[in-house]
Amino acid sequence: MREVQKKAEEDQPITNITASAMLAAELTLIASVLVAVIMVRLIHPVLMIIMIAAVLIIAVMARPIMPRLRKEQNDDLNNMMFYIVVALGIVVALFYWGNLNV
Amino acid sequence: MVVDSQLMSFFTAGSLIVIGIFAALFLDNLIKKIIGLAFLGDGVNLFIITMGYKPGGIVYIFLPDMTISNFAQTSAYPLPFALVLTNIVIGASTLAVILGLVLILNKRHGSLSASKILRDKGE
Amino acid sequence: MDLNALIAVMIILPIASALFLNLLHKKDRTIKIIAIITAVVLPIIPLLTPYGSHFFGGYLPLAQNSTLAQGLPAIITGTQLSQFHLGIMYVFSSAQQLMIFILGIITFFAIFTFINETKKPSGVYAFLLFMGTASLSAILLSDDIFNLFVFFEIAALAQVGIVVASGIKDNYETALKYILIGNIAGPLLLLGIVMLLGVTGNVNVTDMIFSIKNGFVDPQSPVLLMALSLITFGWLYASGLPPFHTIKSEVYSKALPHGAALIQAFSVFTLVAIGIIIIRLFSYNPFTHIAIIGISVIAMILGITMALMQTDYKRILGYLAVGELGYIGIGLGLGTALGITAGLFQAINESVITSFLFIGFGTVLYKTRTSDTKKLGGMMYVNPKVALLVLLAGLAMAGVPPLNAFQSKLMLIQASIQSGLPEIGIIMILLSIVTFMTFMKAFYTVYMRPKPKELEVLDNKIPKSTIISLVAFLIICITLGLFPQIATSSLQTLAAGLV
Repeated sequence: MREVQKKAEEDQPITNITASAMLAAELTLIASVLVAVIMVRLIHPVLMIIMIAAVLIIAVMARPIMPRLRKEQNDDLNNMMFYIVVALGIVVALFYWGNLNV
Repeated sequence: MVVDSQLMSFFTAGSLIVIGIFAALFLDNLIKKIIGLAFLGDGVNLFIITMGYKPGGIVYIFLPDMTISNFAQTSAYPLPFALVLTNIVIGASTLAVILGLVLILNKRHGSLSASKILRDKGE
Repeated sequence: MDLNALIAVMIILPIASALFLNLLHKKDRTIKIIAIITAVVLPIIPLLTPYGSHFFGGYLPLAQNSTLAQGLPAIITGTQLSQFHLGIMYVFSSAQQLMIFILGIITFFAIFTFINETKKPSGVYAFLLFMGTASLSAILLSDDIFNLFVFFEIAALAQVGIVVASGIKDNYETALKYILIGNIAGPLLLLGIVMLLGVTGNVNVTDMIFSIKNGFVDPQSPVLLMALSLITFGWLYASGLPPFHTIKSEVYSKALPHGAALIQAFSVFTLVAIGIIIIRLFSYNPFTHIAIIGISVIAMILGITMALMQTDYKRILGYLAVGELGYIGIGLGLGTALGITAGLFQAINESVITSFLFIGFGTVLYKTRTSDTKKLGGMMYVNPKVALLVLLAGLAMAGVPPLNAFQSKLMLIQASIQSGLPEIGIIMILLSIVTFMTFMKAFYTVYMRPKPKELEVLDNKIPKSTIISLVAFLIICITLGLFPQIATSSLQTLAAGLV
């Protein structure tokens, strides 16, 4: 909580609403990613346990995630372009090699 | 050594696309970015044209003294050429809109740098 | 008269009207009359048109067209070539009917509020709105993937125009960003399309499926996989799924409320149209479904958590709209008949509800000229009626019964459990709650907390037409919520055909 406040103070004076919103967003993010990772069980149950543990550890270590995530997803054109080209690479790689090797 | 012209065309198209994406991503000047995007569009156009190429093929115009089966077997595939024409028109109109916007923004900011004009305004 | 010609009229009428409106300068009355007449007619045409196909040029495939096939050699008539369609084909069935009807309704109310909120309605702006609607109708109808691409580019230009015309601060920057990004993603989508053309020799989706299913094309061909990945990438751009969610939400927030309402409907319906084509072409490939579900889950999580962090209510709505797109994607990605029906139903609900919200919150912009929640407050006293309507819209978006999104979200959760993925159901419930919380945060700061002293409320009265539009959207929400079978029965046929 204190860290969230510190991070948020950098750009604007903090209010109750922004602080609670940030906390809620952080919790939502972690909870939904955790639930989503459970779907890995369809591939292999052991992999799921490892990944859940990894996500938990990352969530604890990288806390607070939300201010960073927000900083990354800004409206800067160069930033947007970078993520778009990265996404293009990921999509092409996944479909192309993922399919040939399944 | 005879180089397969179709293969080389594909290769050129691929390089144009890669150069275009590179320019759009890494160059800061908006006009240079736009040139990169034009490269990207042209690479795709070249790719389409190359696909319609047929080694030893004839122009797809049916003359009275041809037989249908001979024509069907030897003529090039006309559809890509129609598509490329449409795409050139789309590309030109989009380019006009982009350049118009850049013109206005250049007047307003006095700069062409993407990292200055199009940075995060931090709402 | 051949009534199936009405299929083409759905696109020709808005384009013709748009071009005509563009020519009219400073003739306010004429512009108003023509725009309203076209907007009224738009939702009516799909209701009158009988189901069927429209062949441009009138050419049926050679197999069904004995006069044209006469005298042609066996190399053409005896092979699969005779099955292929000879021109652009538009397909119109019950699902298209419903979607174009809803699109027409949203266009009507966008035009209606635009004309009454603006003192001097500009013909050029109406041109952009109608052009976008025409392209979206074509995208929904077209069975020809290149034709779809062309109209998609027109729709993108129309969206840029709507943003440029808004006059909101920094709108030019946003428009330039959107069009630059579109110029990377658009050609790559086209590259995917022409790779399909290269492999199958066709741009007609039905014919491409025929070629893939009947073994004329190797389904595991690397070029086909490359085409699939590029088309998926183009689909992300077209609908504003991550990584395009930032630019798309920015575009929504820089458009005027009626424009934003229409632009988000464009995104929803492009997502549906291209998503359906991807599923039709590539459903033999199990990875397609996994990818669509994965992208949709990311869109939901990122869209809704980012919405929580924003302070501009238009941006909040923009991110929420992106998050809701994820629900549609999940429905399509599940790939079962129930899932796809639910996804399409959610698409219809979402386009209505988000328009409702944009136009409803737009009244605040109309009264105060600001959209920054930090500066706003106390709008409840200024116009309690609108506040109530906006609250109901928010409840609808969160999926509260008896409103429409409840039905579609329930169906989505049922479909996910049936497909053996209850986790997705849990995520959807969780994120619905957070959606509601995000909405309430915006609603509280704009409407309920005490009014800040600096806030100036303008004295202009909210036009009656805006209230009428909001009530009409509410009626649609309640009707679809109480009688979901009106929509689902139309969508089921399409969904069953995709499985």
